[in-house]
Amino acid sequence: MLNQILRDRVYTLTLTTLLLCLVSAAVFPATFPTFENFRQLLLNLSIDAIVAVGMMLLLIAGVFDLSVGSVVAFAGGLSAHLMVYYDVPVPVAMLMGLGSAVLIGWINGYLIAYQGINPLIQTLAMMGIVRGGALMVAGAGIQNLPYWYNAIGQSKLLGVQMPVWYMGLVVAAFTFLVNRTVFFRRYYYIGGNEQAAELSGIRVRRMKLYAFMLSATLAGVAGLLLTSRLGAALSTLGRGMELRVITAVILGGASLTGGVGKIPGALLGALFMGLVANIMVIARVSGYWQEIILGLILIIAVWIDLALQRRSAGRQGLARKFSNKPSPEGVGVDQ
Amino acid sequence: MNPILQLRGISKSFPGVKALEGVDFDLRAGEVHALCGENGAGKSTLMNILTGNLEPDAGQVLLDSLAVEISGPAEASRLGIAIVYQQLSVINTLSVAENIFANRQPRGKLGFIWYSQLYAQTQALLDKLQLRHIRPQSLVGELSPGQRQMVEIAKALAQDPRILILDEPTASITRQETDTLFAIIQQLKDDGKGIVYISHRLNEIFTIADRVTVLKDGRYQTTRPVADVTANDLIRLMVGRDIEFARTASSRTGEPLLTVRNLTGGRFADISFTLHRGEILGLAGLVGAGRTEIARAIFGIDTLISGEVYVHNKLCAIRHPADAVTAGIGYVPEERKTQGVFLNMSVMENVLAADLPAAQTGGWYGIGKARQLAERFRAQLRMATPSVMQRAGLLSGGNQQKAVLARWLLANPDVLIVDEPTHGIDVGAKAEIHTLLRGLAAEGKGILLISSELPELLALADRILVIRQGTLAGELVGDTATEETIMALAANA
Repeated sequence: MLNQILRDRVYTLTLTTLLLCLVSAAVFPATFPTFENFRQLLLNLSIDAIVAVGMMLLLIAGVFDLSVGSVVAFAGGLSAHLMVYYDVPVPVAMLMGLGSAVLIGWINGYLIAYQGINPLIQTLAMMGIVRGGALMVAGAGIQNLPYWYNAIGQSKLLGVQMPVWYMGLVVAAFTFLVNRTVFFRRYYYIGGNEQAAELSGIRVRRMKLYAFMLSATLAGVAGLLLTSRLGAALSTLGRGMELRVITAVILGGASLTGGVGKIPGALLGALFMGLVANIMVIARVSGYWQEIILGLILIIAVWIDLALQRRSAGRQGLARKFSNKPSPEGVGVDQ
Repeated sequence: MNPILQLRGISKSFPGVKALEGVDFDLRAGEVHALCGENGAGKSTLMNILTGNLEPDAGQVLLDSLAVEISGPAEASRLGIAIVYQQLSVINTLSVAENIFANRQPRGKLGFIWYSQLYAQTQALLDKLQLRHIRPQSLVGELSPGQRQMVEIAKALAQDPRILILDEPTASITRQETDTLFAIIQQLKDDGKGIVYISHRLNEIFTIADRVTVLKDGRYQTTRPVADVTANDLIRLMVGRDIEFARTASSRTGEPLLTVRNLTGGRFADISFTLHRGEILGLAGLVGAGRTEIARAIFGIDTLISGEVYVHNKLCAIRHPADAVTAGIGYVPEERKTQGVFLNMSVMENVLAADLPAAQTGGWYGIGKARQLAERFRAQLRMATPSVMQRAGLLSGGNQQKAVLARWLLANPDVLIVDEPTHGIDVGAKAEIHTLLRGLAAEGKGILLISSELPELLALADRILVIRQGTLAGELVGDTATEETIMALAANA
């Protein structure tokens, strides 16, 4: 029982995060536990968290997408380009930005799911291609975005910036959908055992295509939000975001082999990373250390998980799975 | 002449199965000794003991009358024993030479691989085997299945063994390639090597072997010179056992549920049959005869070259398993661990896999409803698990299979295809699964049962279709179906 709780990353990460907050509040009572600090912390991670929700879905299905960071820059850049240089109405420009994201997701999904290109290669290539596109549409940066567009990301509700609310909305909606709809439950089966899922009548390829489109759409939403919040579109937006988001999602309980992970884990992973960065800034630790410490945390988290898995497997008498002795199923009982 | 190899009283058990019981076997220099028996008779287990992959529970292995202990494949190869496995072990992305000299490539003075030497040695070996059409530099992936098989054999021979074991070497090769193989075997025989030849194909045994040993259900039957036996003798020795399972009453009706016409696919051709409501239709045949491929094509996993599938007399275009499920077909695959069970998911999720909407209330999936459904099937199938939330990977094989069957009980298709449903499952669970299948037929489902266990087929099936090398070799009904008649059709003896 305890073991099961220990192995649920949503619990352990929530616990660790709370503990970290308490300790920081005790050590930095003047700077850490303030409304202003938390507001800023949440605002900083809101864009990443929205992208992380899509990435979590992909990892549950056993795939991932490295091009999301570039899509953030391209979708934001394209809408800004259209509204500033061509006077396209804001809603139309936004829809076209989102549409471009969906299209990129479709291309990735089609080539990976239907043509069998490896996700790493396909999305790595797409990451470069789309980044090039972002440079074309955003050039040296687009400023003076329309007022109404900037209002989306810059206005506040109850003293908290809108991107934080959008993040909350996305996480809540997807948490509910993934738990309560047949459509999204299928992703666990696909990630758990693709062949068995196919043989249970799940259209694996089609579902994977949808997952890439959905994840890219969320990246597009994040791109619009980010440019609107900054009041400018830059071709460098979202650079390095893909690895940051994958780190957050794995910290949040996903696995590269697929089949596991929960949507709140995406938020928790992003929150935890944001928190560590925040505390280090408050503690005046050099920025270089942030990356080192986050890297170490990721390794330790995955390592602890593997150790727990081994322990429970050993107790259940399945230790032979990890030994080199041939198992009776493995060798010719049937011949 | 003294035998170079003797096995005495070899026994080996796996949980729930006695794979070998007191088996004797000997091999002389310069002879081909065939080992035959049905699927599951213990041939491969015996060879795995000889090559050190498995340790016997009891018994002795003697080489040149000296007892030896074979601790692993490396030790076996040091003792001069080489095996060519049924499944190819060559690496497609490497060249022929690198495959043959895997991990022991000739090296130069500085310790780097000496390629000219590697290719020269490979060429010499290929010449000796009269495989002049294979180049040492070719990638193995570009060769035909038969050529790959020859590379496999060359790889075994590169270590200059005294004893060569060939496990179903002709399963994937053409007749011409078989002739080449036989020529090579003849040559090895003349060189004084001992060869163990495992095959289902009786005519091959009569062509190439000097003596034959028959195993049945893990027990030694007899060893005779090939000249002294007939094909019928061998079949009688391989089958003919006490009836394990009582024959069950038929519930067959005249209403066709599934009709297939002239099905042709990659590994089978022109298959037609009808499955009726309440009927269990057996598909018999040797491993590799194409039974699983037929099932996969009907279920929409592999594409058909031609042919039609009718469900309830309605032509169905099945291009994906989802189409098959919609049409009312379910499939329990042969490879339980890789294709059937979601090992890392709960028993509950396993049960729901083919019919997730069943756990909806008002359009929303709910874990409460899912759990309730899973609990129902746990009770009905008597699945031994502490909780339906338990990971399926922690269950025994029999209980995993019950979870897969429960999946289709929930989805409730009219036609259920079960491929080796009791493969690797203990006797108790086996009997339960038999009862379950018979019960489903009695409820009015049609069941297509693929099984390599003849007693299982004979006990359950109303009719048995025998598949031989991708074609329908015959149909057996009622008393005409016996282990002997099935084997005769399956092996073309």
